[in-house]
Amino acid sequence: MNPFIFQSPTKVLFGEYTTTGCADLLLELGAKRPLLVADGFLLESGMLDPMIDNLRGLGEEPCIFAEVPSDSDVACVDKAAQLAREHGCDSIVAVGGGSVIDTAKVVAICLTLGGDLLDYQGLNCIERKLVPLVVVPTTAGTGSEVSFVAMIKDKKEGKKLLFGSPYLAPDVAMLDPTLILSLPPRLTAATGMDAITHGIEAFVASGTFSVATDALCLESLRLMFRHLPEAFSRGDDMEARSATLVASTMAGIAFTNSGVGIVHALAHSVGAKFGTHHGMTNAVLLPFGMEFNMEQAEQRFARIADYALASDCLEFSGKSDSYKAAFLLDRIRNLLVEFSLPKSLKELGLPELDDDVLNELSCMAASDPAIMFNPRETTDEDLIEIIKRAY
Amino acid sequence: MAVFSSTEELHRIMEDLWNAIKSDEQMAGQLLASRLIVQFHYREPEGRLTIDCSDGVEMKIHSGECEKKPIVEMFMKSDVAHEFWLGKVNVPMALLQGKIVSKGPVSKALALLPALKPAYPMYPTVIKNNGLKVSV
Repeated sequence: MNPFIFQSPTKVLFGEYTTTGCADLLLELGAKRPLLVADGFLLESGMLDPMIDNLRGLGEEPCIFAEVPSDSDVACVDKAAQLAREHGCDSIVAVGGGSVIDTAKVVAICLTLGGDLLDYQGLNCIERKLVPLVVVPTTAGTGSEVSFVAMIKDKKEGKKLLFGSPYLAPDVAMLDPTLILSLPPRLTAATGMDAITHGIEAFVASGTFSVATDALCLESLRLMFRHLPEAFSRGDDMEARSATLVASTMAGIAFTNSGVGIVHALAHSVGAKFGTHHGMTNAVLLPFGMEFNMEQAEQRFARIADYALASDCLEFSGKSDSYKAAFLLDRIRNLLVEFSLPKSLKELGLPELDDDVLNELSCMAASDPAIMFNPRETTDEDLIEIIKRAY
Repeated sequence: MAVFSSTEELHRIMEDLWNAIKSDEQMAGQLLASRLIVQFHYREPEGRLTIDCSDGVEMKIHSGECEKKPIVEMFMKSDVAHEFWLGKVNVPMALLQGKIVSKGPVSKALALLPALKPAYPMYPTVIKNNGLKVSV
């Protein structure tokens, strides 16, 4: 067995209405004046009222910031950090999707370390613990509630800033399935496909996967393949919602320890260039990335199929790895059809891609940290070919 | 025991290696095109090396303190640097494990990794020429 390091510092709590215990958790963490960074829609819908009532138990009216855009940026972080400083906040509670959680992580950097945010951009350059951070994901897909990374835009400079450090891992992730019951089917599918992509890419990551990440990936994928279609077609199915929420967090812990791959590298590039939804872009690119990796990852894909899809195929035993890997790929493609998700970059809304754009996308993907973990080495030509095929 | 016995030895070997890279038209061309200023911070023994490609014309190699503000900074033990140039470091794993710290726009630094691969075979010669007695 290869040597490995596995770390997951985030305490994970799961349960219906578990967020109503948030105040006690903050007290355990030595905090009593949180900044609540919340998804604006959820706040207006009243779904967060029980949690806010609970936070009032800390003695003061919670300080709330609910202005995070879908693609958060430095200006938004500065505004939230300023609000937190004005109110003497000593901790952060984030309730929302990936953008809200990433914003909260970067606000935690500002509140704790001060100075110029750009000084902390990079991998592993945050060297001490940040203010307590409690997160409540309201989609089942990003894994940001347990990951060590945060990405926000610097709109002034027109670039994405990446922050990566174990100290960015939230102290607590509270998984409350009641908060995702109203997630629309299309968003349920797209974010779910993001989690499936995490599970698959983390399972085949080059030289960084371990028995610990394997266990998380396989069970996460089994839960996702079984329950995502149910959550898509019956949004109020608490069991299905619970399973996808937990599966997403498991995949998040896995990719935090082993990395992702070419699908994410390309999705980050396409998203940065055309503003496409991250989960949906991953969904489109996943079959093409798997095809590209097939030779190097066939055995690993077959293991996923064996564990996560065996119940779907009565004649699975005795079949070859290539049969099982192809079965997995078909299952992914069928999910896109079942969920009425785009199956090509064109369907995703991308315009015709000329040579300049293809080169730009391939350069961005080649320099994305995710590409380092891909099981097959890539050239610029490979990346362009995949984009063309996916178009 | 550390591979490099002193800061002077570390600086001398890294300077020689980067001068060899600078002499290679293809590698130098790719690095200059990036217009990056990369600063390496080494420890055990301490050392600092700055590679300045900012003018896109000439690669400048500077060991020790440097006033030029780097765009990307990499921090690691000197032994990790030695292993890296021998092609023995799994860079993704080293980043995940915190053995390499990268400050600044990581993607710009990572984009240069493939360009530096042809330097791996140069390194054993550089350390041999400097009398460093280690198994490669």
